[in-house]
Amino acid sequence: MIEAVSSLFARIGERGYFMRDIVRAFGEPATYGRETIRQMRNIGVDSIPLAAIVAAFIGAVTAFQTRYQLFGGVQLSVVGLISRQSIVLELGPLLTGLVLTGRVGARITAEIGTMRVTEQIDALETLAYDPVAYLIVPRLVAAVVMLPILTILADAIGVGMAYLTAIVATDVTSSAFTEGLRLAFAPFQIVYSIIKATIFGAAIAFFCSYEGYTANVGAEGVGRSTAQAVVITSVAILVLDALTALLLAPYLQA
Amino acid sequence: MKKRDDVLVGLVIAVAIIVAIIGSLWLARGGLSKGYALYAKFPWSAGLKQGQPVLLGGVNIGYVDEVDLRPDGTVLTTFRVGKQYHVPKGTTATVVPNGIFGDMAIALSPKGPNPESIPPNDTVPVGPSAPGIAQLTGKADSIASSMNAITTALQRELIAAGGVRDLRTTIAGMNRLVAQFSVIAAEQNRQMSATFASLRRVTSGVDSAKVDSTVKNFREASANLSALSADMKQTSLKLDSIIAKVSDGSGTVAKALNDPGAYNDVRSLIQHMDSLITDVKKNPKRYINVRVF
Repeated sequence: MIEAVSSLFARIGERGYFMRDIVRAFGEPATYGRETIRQMRNIGVDSIPLAAIVAAFIGAVTAFQTRYQLFGGVQLSVVGLISRQSIVLELGPLLTGLVLTGRVGARITAEIGTMRVTEQIDALETLAYDPVAYLIVPRLVAAVVMLPILTILADAIGVGMAYLTAIVATDVTSSAFTEGLRLAFAPFQIVYSIIKATIFGAAIAFFCSYEGYTANVGAEGVGRSTAQAVVITSVAILVLDALTALLLAPYLQA
Repeated sequence: MKKRDDVLVGLVIAVAIIVAIIGSLWLARGGLSKGYALYAKFPWSAGLKQGQPVLLGGVNIGYVDEVDLRPDGTVLTTFRVGKQYHVPKGTTATVVPNGIFGDMAIALSPKGPNPESIPPNDTVPVGPSAPGIAQLTGKADSIASSMNAITTALQRELIAAGGVRDLRTTIAGMNRLVAQFSVIAAEQNRQMSATFASLRRVTSGVDSAKVDSTVKNFREASANLSALSADMKQTSLKLDSIIAKVSDGSGTVAKALNDPGAYNDVRSLIQHMDSLITDVKKNPKRYINVRVF
């Protein structure tokens, strides 16, 4: 029992040290500057099709289901309101984060884990390169910058698909949907979405990099690390989502 | 290759930022053009929120932009109206419920078409507000409580005080009474029909021809009677004139009646006759000589 608790604290402490290394590595922009752009391309630009497909389906389903949850007598502009709030506040950032955990996070862990296993990281250290500055920081910066970008696009695509679905597949009119879309809108709702996405991006890069950076020797070690990274990151994203909602949702009222 | 990455990343970031800004603006203001602002002061608890529609004669022409709580008991509401719409002068603004779930809208009710329109940044006067769901609920509540009071009173009167039992006895008595009435009515009905039947028999017995001739005779008799009465009248007139003449003193009778000398003559004559008759009785032989042989 005591051992289990102390090993939990040990794990948290190890990640704390890793975080300190990352903060220190920010002092070497020459090492990570060029690499960051490449990671932004990998993490952000190449993920656009996946994020867009996910957002489009989420938007369509949200609008369609919302329409058929309403009972008679409810003004149909509610469909626009609920679609906007669901997609912008919750589904856009959360699903983008979860999907990117699979596509980007697993890839980060596998890449860094393989480098660790094949001793490339040791080689970097030998060449007086800071491996954290060269491998981790670019991915972290790329994820923190690109996840909000992807989330904005996902929000826009999701709401657009919700609009199309509502007016094509249901009896909601264009003007009713637009009216609901604009009802009680505050720009902070977009900021809230971006804040969530930023936190999720940081979580993806941090947890997945750590698992890869500490991968055990052998192909099995890399596989295990990757699986663990995806699980930890997914759970972390859900917990952070709940925490963000608890902290910031009171400020959402227009 | 590296150059291409830079361009792609920059492009995506730029597009996302533009989408975020334009999307927010579109949602918040209904487009890049803000429209023009109008103001209205509603009382507190009007239930207005940013983004609620503004309707002019039922047509959506803009959105609530800002709701500012004032310490004087009003909310200063800023709403934006599309540039292509003009609000006629004389329009009043009211807060109306939009749907049944407490959502609100601002309704601008124009008095009619007016070539002059309210200029931008002006304040629209507030009209009388329509009752909202909250007021209706309050009213329904008070109705329910008075219903409750009535029900309690009825309960006390009818059940606790035995009103229903009395009512039931009354109804039973009434029932009996009605039954008796109906027996009587049936009896009456029977007698009535008998009466009518005999009446019908009598009526059918009367001969109309006889009645007619009787009536005709009556008419004749009455004509005769009237002729008779005319004669009587004439006679009485003549009699009148005779009596008048008599009392005048003209004519023989009158003179005979009115002359005292004649009366005295007749009287002395009668006295002489009397004495003569007495003398005759006394001495019949003086006057009467009857010789038979």
